[in-house]
Amino acid sequence: MEVSDERSIVANRVSQSIVRQMIERGMRELTGEQDPRLAWSKFIQPKDIVGIKINPSGAPACCSSPEIVREIVAGVQSVGVPAHNIIVYDRYAYEMDIGSYQALVPVGVRVTGVQEHKLDVSGYDPDIFCEANFFGEWETRSYMASIVSSGVSKIINVPTMKDHSAAGVTGCLKNLGYGTFNNVDRSHRRPFSFTDPLIGIMCSVEPLRSKAMLHIMDGTRMLWHGGPLNQNPDFIFPAGLIMVGTDPVAMDTIELEKIEAKRSKEGVPSVWSRDPASLTNDGGAFFQDASKNLFYRQPHHIEAAGKLGLGISDRKKIEHQVIRIA
Amino acid sequence: MTQTAHDWPTLLCDNARTGGQAAQPWRAPGRSRWQTNVEGGVRGSPVLLGELLYIPSLAGFLNAIDIHSGRLHWRFKAPAAIPSTPSIGADRILFGCSDGKVIAIDAVTGAKSWETAAEDEVWTSPVVRDGAVFFGSADGAMYAVHLETGAPKWKSALGGRIYSTACVAENRVYVGCGDGNVYALDARTGQVSWKTATGNGIDCSPALASDTLLIGSQDFFFYALDAGSGAIRWKYEAELGITSAPAISGDIVIFGCKAGTLHALDIRTGELIWKIRTGEAITAPPVVSGTVIWLQAGITFAINLSDGKLLWRAGMGNSLHSAPVVTKQAVYLAGMEGEIYALE
Repeated sequence: MEVSDERSIVANRVSQSIVRQMIERGMRELTGEQDPRLAWSKFIQPKDIVGIKINPSGAPACCSSPEIVREIVAGVQSVGVPAHNIIVYDRYAYEMDIGSYQALVPVGVRVTGVQEHKLDVSGYDPDIFCEANFFGEWETRSYMASIVSSGVSKIINVPTMKDHSAAGVTGCLKNLGYGTFNNVDRSHRRPFSFTDPLIGIMCSVEPLRSKAMLHIMDGTRMLWHGGPLNQNPDFIFPAGLIMVGTDPVAMDTIELEKIEAKRSKEGVPSVWSRDPASLTNDGGAFFQDASKNLFYRQPHHIEAAGKLGLGISDRKKIEHQVIRIA
Repeated sequence: MTQTAHDWPTLLCDNARTGGQAAQPWRAPGRSRWQTNVEGGVRGSPVLLGELLYIPSLAGFLNAIDIHSGRLHWRFKAPAAIPSTPSIGADRILFGCSDGKVIAIDAVTGAKSWETAAEDEVWTSPVVRDGAVFFGSADGAMYAVHLETGAPKWKSALGGRIYSTACVAENRVYVGCGDGNVYALDARTGQVSWKTATGNGIDCSPALASDTLLIGSQDFFFYALDAGSGAIRWKYEAELGITSAPAISGDIVIFGCKAGTLHALDIRTGELIWKIRTGEAITAPPVVSGTVIWLQAGITFAINLSDGKLLWRAGMGNSLHSAPVVTKQAVYLAGMEGEIYALE
C-alpha cells in the first residue's frame, strides 16, 4: 500500500496528524479491516514484545521520522501491548541520539542502540552469525544483534526511502540486514560492494526472517543521492508518502523505481550505472555532486533477495495499490 | 542568577556552560599535555574540581583523572551506564544512570554518599540549588531530593520523557519535556506554575537570562519566554531541530542546530547577530570562556564570540553531548569513543 499526502511534510516538518491518517489508512487497506485496532491485531498480539527497527543513519536530515514512530507505537499499544514491551532500536545508539528518539517517544517505551560506540560488541549473539569472505578480511563473521535473536518476538521495520552509494537503495531489506548484523562494512571496498547478495542472505537468517512481518517505509522525505548519510538538502525531496506492506522485496522494488524516476528527472546517472567515469574517492565531491558515486551500486540485491524467497521482485506480479489522500 | 558556592543550578553550572571555571584569555592550544582513554564511550561532559577531572562513561564508570598526569586516580563503578553530565554540589559528584539511579559520591575519595532512583533512565544532569537536587527522568517526572541525604522532597509527573537538564532559579524549576512543553515548577512543591507549548518534543536544556528563559525545540524554533508567565517574547527559526543547550554571554545567546549551524542571537530582540556552519550536527552545548566559544561537533572548534570567526580547530573530540573544560592551564576534551585529551 502506498499512501500519499502532500500535507504530510511542510517546510521540512512532518505532520503528526497527517501521518496518523496515512498509517491508519494504509493498515486498514492492507488488512481489509475497517477498525485500525483490528488491523494492527492482524500482526501484533498483546503478549508480544515488539521491536520497532528504525533507520537513524541519515539523522538528522533524513531518518525514520519520530512522528511515524509515535504512530506505530500508538498502533501497537492499541492492541494491548504495554509500553515497556515496545522497543525502538537500531545498531548505533549515537545515531539514535542525533535523532532525539529517546526524548520523542511516549513514556515507558524503551529506546536502545545495539552498540554504544563503534567497537562495542556486547549487544550481539555469539551463536548466530553469517559467514562470508569478500576481500580476504581476517574476520569473516557478522553476528546477529541479541535484541533480534532473543529480545523481541515481532519486528516492525521502519526504513526510509534513500539512495545508497553501495546497495543502490536502502529500504526494507538493507535496513533489516545491515541494521541487524555487525561487521558489515567489510562487504564494501571501493569501488566494489557485496551488498548483493549479502543483504538478502542476512535477511534470510532466522529468527530475523520470521520476526520481521510488517514494514512501514517512511517516504515523507526521499534522499535521492548521497545515501545513506548525506545531509545535503539539495538531494532531499519531500515525497510525502508512506508505504505499508508485508513484502520487503516488493516494497524495495517500488522504492527503487521511485528513486530511479527522481534521478532521471534530475538528469543524473541511474543507480544501475557502471560507468567508471562517475566514480570518485572524494567523499566531499560525492555529497555535493549527484553525478558522482563511491561504488558501483548493487541494486540487484533486491532481485537476489527475491530469489531467496523473501518476496516478489517481478514488477508485473507486485500488487501495488496507490492511495492519494491529498 | 545568584547562587551560593554549593549551587550548580543548570547544565555545566552556569549560563556560560563553563563547569564553574573562570573565563580565560584566548590562547590557541599548541600541544597535548597528555592523552588517555576511559573504558566505554563517553556521552556526557567532563567536570573539574580541584585537580581531578571527572568523566562519566557508558561502561558505567565515573572516572577521576589527575589533571597533571592524565592517570586514573580512582573510578567508581555504577550499576549501569552513565549518560549524564555530572554536577558538583557540596563536594560531591552527582550523576544519573541508565537504570534510573542518581548517585552522589564523595569528590575526593570516590565513596558513595547516597543514591536515589527514578523509574526509568536519567540522562539529565542533577542540578543543585539551596540544599536540594533536581533531576528529570525518561519516566516523565521531575524529582527533588535533599542534597545531604538523597531523601525525596517531591516528584512531579509531567507529560512526556525528560532529557532536558533543568535550570533552577530562586523559586522555580524550568525544564523542557518530550511532550513539547516548557514547564516552570514551584521549586518547593513541584507544582506546575505554567507550561508553554512548542511544536515538537524538547531535549534541549534551558538557560535563564534575568527574566528570560531560553530554550530550543525539535520544532526547529528557539524560544525566549517570559520566565514569570511563560509567554513567548520571540522565537527564531533554525534549519532543523535544536538539542544543543544555549550558552549566554551578556546579551548574546549562542546555540547549535542539528543542521550543523551555530547561531548567535540578541537576547533582547531575537535578532541574528551571526551564524556559522561547522559541518556536522551540533547537539552539544557551546562553552563561552571570555571572548571565545568552544564547541565539540564532530571535531573541536574555538570561535570568536563577537563575530563568529573561526579561531582554531582540531580533528579530535568527536562528541554528541560533551563540552570542553577550559582552564588557565589546559583545555580538557572527552570524545565519544572514550578518548580524553589535555591540550595546552
